[in-house]
Amino acid sequence: MRELAYYQAKFEALHEIMAADERVHLINGTFLSLSPHRHVYQELVKKYRDRIMSPPISELGFCGLATGAAMAGLRPIVDISTGSFIFEGWPQVVNEAANAFSMSGGQTRVPVVFHLFHGLRGGGAAQHSASPQAMLWNNPGLEIVLPSSPRDVKGLLKTAVASDNPTIFVDHVQLLEVKGEVPENDAPIPFGAADVKRQGSDVTVISTSYMVQRCLQVAEKLSAERISVEVVDPRTLVPFDMATLMTSVAKTGRVVIVDETHQSCGVAAEIAARIAEAGFDKLKAPLRRVATLDVPVPYSPPLEEYIGPREDRIIEAIRTVLR
Amino acid sequence: MWLIRAFEEKVSALYAARQIVGLLHLGIGQEAVAAGTCSLLRTDDYVFGGHRSHGHAIAKGADIKRLMAEIAGRATGYCAGKGGSMHIVAMDAGFVTATGVVGGTIPLALGAAFAAKENGKGQVAVVFFGDGAGQAGPFHESLNIASLWRLPVIFVCENNGYAEFTPLSAHTLVERLARHAQTYKIPSSTVDGNDLLKVRDAMAEAVRRARAGKGPAFVEFLTHRLRGHYEGDPAKYRELSQLAEWKAKDPIARFTRELKRKKAISDKEVEAIKDEARDLVERAAQFAIDSPWPAGEEVDSQVTA
Amino acid sequence: MLPKVSRETLLDFCRRMFVIRHFEESLVPLHDKGVFGGHYHLYVGQEATGVSALSCLRSDDYLFTTHRNHGHLLARGAQPKRLLAEILGRSDGYNKGKGGSFHTVVPDLGFLHTSAVVAGIIPLATGTAYAAKALNNGRITVCLFGDGALEEGAAPEALNLASLWKLPVLFLCENNGKYGAGRATGAAQSSTMAAFPLTDLPKAYKVPAQQIDGLDSGTVHATISEAVEKIRRGEGPQFIEAQTVRWPGSETNWPSVVQPTDSSLAWDVSGVPEKVREWYRSCDPLLIFIRELVDARQATMEEIAATEKKVKAEIADAVSFAVASPYPRPQEATNDYFA
Repeated sequence: MRELAYYQAKFEALHEIMAADERVHLINGTFLSLSPHRHVYQELVKKYRDRIMSPPISELGFCGLATGAAMAGLRPIVDISTGSFIFEGWPQVVNEAANAFSMSGGQTRVPVVFHLFHGLRGGGAAQHSASPQAMLWNNPGLEIVLPSSPRDVKGLLKTAVASDNPTIFVDHVQLLEVKGEVPENDAPIPFGAADVKRQGSDVTVISTSYMVQRCLQVAEKLSAERISVEVVDPRTLVPFDMATLMTSVAKTGRVVIVDETHQSCGVAAEIAARIAEAGFDKLKAPLRRVATLDVPVPYSPPLEEYIGPREDRIIEAIRTVLR
Repeated sequence: MWLIRAFEEKVSALYAARQIVGLLHLGIGQEAVAAGTCSLLRTDDYVFGGHRSHGHAIAKGADIKRLMAEIAGRATGYCAGKGGSMHIVAMDAGFVTATGVVGGTIPLALGAAFAAKENGKGQVAVVFFGDGAGQAGPFHESLNIASLWRLPVIFVCENNGYAEFTPLSAHTLVERLARHAQTYKIPSSTVDGNDLLKVRDAMAEAVRRARAGKGPAFVEFLTHRLRGHYEGDPAKYRELSQLAEWKAKDPIARFTRELKRKKAISDKEVEAIKDEARDLVERAAQFAIDSPWPAGEEVDSQVTA
Repeated sequence: MLPKVSRETLLDFCRRMFVIRHFEESLVPLHDKGVFGGHYHLYVGQEATGVSALSCLRSDDYLFTTHRNHGHLLARGAQPKRLLAEILGRSDGYNKGKGGSFHTVVPDLGFLHTSAVVAGIIPLATGTAYAAKALNNGRITVCLFGDGALEEGAAPEALNLASLWKLPVLFLCENNGKYGAGRATGAAQSSTMAAFPLTDLPKAYKVPAQQIDGLDSGTVHATISEAVEKIRRGEGPQFIEAQTVRWPGSETNWPSVVQPTDSSLAWDVSGVPEKVREWYRSCDPLLIFIRELVDARQATMEEIAATEKKVKAEIADAVSFAVASPYPRPQEATNDYFA
């Protein structure tokens, strides 16, 4: 099977999506962020010039535009770029797009994809490092997707575009260079299908997005100590695959949840609550969360590193649940 | 202006040497706006900036050692390393805050102006933003409120023709942002931002009005950034001829020529100013490099008052 | 003056205006008796704008409106009984009770979504316009909002996008604050908007804009027809501010019918309570329209009274239908929030 870098798989997906459906328009276009490879985006722009728009700095305006366009028959992917900027377009996303189908009694569909980069990026400071997915999870009516590998980003982006619901596609700049296997002619990946990224038997580590990669590295490290870590990646928060998680929890009885949203009311908090409700009797130890600390993200590199779900904190949590 | 130029060039060098990380936006080429504007302000006037605000903070009187340390993420920085380049706060100099969100400080400046009006001491608020902010909703909301409530706020637009990587024309059909001020009945002017004396003249009038309780003003300065949007941006979207054209209008060079023409300054004095600026900046850089990194546990300090 | 349309169409306009007027008035006692709750906003006093303007559209055009939406829906031909059922939260409502007054959606009539957030629909309107342009289906979008919406940042952002990308959208601002404080002195429109006239805002973006008398159906019809033509020809967005005078019954937060409407008021307001008499005498677009119809010999007073009687009966039926319509089952709350 061929190996691709994450950004290549993402781009392949965009090319295939644009070729397959004329209704797909791209609004704003930092899909490769500031990656050194971002020039490949120009190929797309050249080929589909009249379906790719570069809006002014008007998130409220263009998130609303994308939502309205979706109501009227297009299938736009709107790139919010830095996740923090979703706060500028927030009313259109959570109050209009999320509610439209339900409050119309099922009459109006909103097949829009909101794409953004979340999390700690290295010197982003407080206003460029947000992970808004926990807040969005608390706002019904939105599908939420977090790819963590080249295969996932391609398969999930296709499903996001095909979905008739408003979808938040939560990406991470630290994933762009990650390499992985991507089959030729791969199929889209359905939502609500978690993925066991690494089999193990001693502890279940549930994580999302870039943290999946970090947890895989931790798992590899701990295997030298003969600790067998199973890494489970939900891939989508809405819809959410409890079954796969619970199978793993039943197998190991020990759970660590690693996620980059802030601890309070974060993604890890919700997953922990669901596991505790559904499988308390399966747990051999209290579960542990490793999330970003509850402080505004500081600029200075040692401070930014300190507050994130660091490798040493993940290892410590794993050791704790194994005691 | 030389201090700002020397500072920015040093920061750029430190960034290239990876002693500064993250996103860095330099104001090289736009020094006349910062220096000219702030030269008319009091320490107790409020200044707000954007992501390209090192120059604004320096012109307002910020301590360049603490500024450099902050940009370098050190514990001795203005924000103890927590803010970085885009989130400078130098309250002692009256530089309230910068922001990484385009137009993010415009509503904040309204608030400071509101408080200033209540204070009754003649303070004004000045907010710097670029042409990219003109398309943002909060910009319009702020113009409206400032006009309705006659707030002593001066909107200073540095129109350098580019919002990130695209020219203004790709963002709007409106060529001059001052046009929006007219909609809300705010007195406005569009001026050559690379002519220090013209900058001062425009600002002097605006400041005088605001201090006298006559309400807000909008000043649009036409200028250009000689670097890319951020350090590391190859700026291929810009024509080399355009860059050359603006280099010829370098604000510092122009002002120096003007002073020399009027025999108000000698070559020797110019060199002395440059040297002094570079010297101060070197010492600031050394201070920053020698300063300790903040300790991890510091993240929990100053989260709430 | 009357619109330059056939007599048949004029009578149809008349009927629609009556439908709106009597529908809206019927809501007040229903609300006051507790039959439905929540805020609601009536279109009384703006009928000439809604009916005349919307008649210029094609059946597949898109419309976005706000919390003051009943008039637009009815002008476009929505069924009073299903609209009322929705306002009452019943299962026969257009949205099966999920939307209520603010969010009534009738896709067949072009209403895909209605936002209760001031200016919430303005960016959405640029979206459907963008889609129509991209799909080249000739549809235009009408964005209906009030004077207050221009205070929201979303409005200038949308105006900018519409002008920059030459989107086929008609921004129709219904300014019902014609005699707002300050206007008489030529000062601000109100204490909340510094731009005056409001058309200065779109003009800054090079969007052609004009102010018209929203009480005059002929002017509305002519102006909107022309604007719609231009948009369909691909000339980009247009902005029209239609001015009306706020209905006295909307003065407080909760509507009240200070004077039940009857076509006879077009010629005799002596029975109207004094403090609102002037409004009914010169600011009620429905009454103005009736007078003009009769003056132009397009209808007699008797014909008009007969039409009104039929409409009132239709509205009474709608009320019975809606009140009798069952509430949705509680479990419906968790259905249908994802496609």
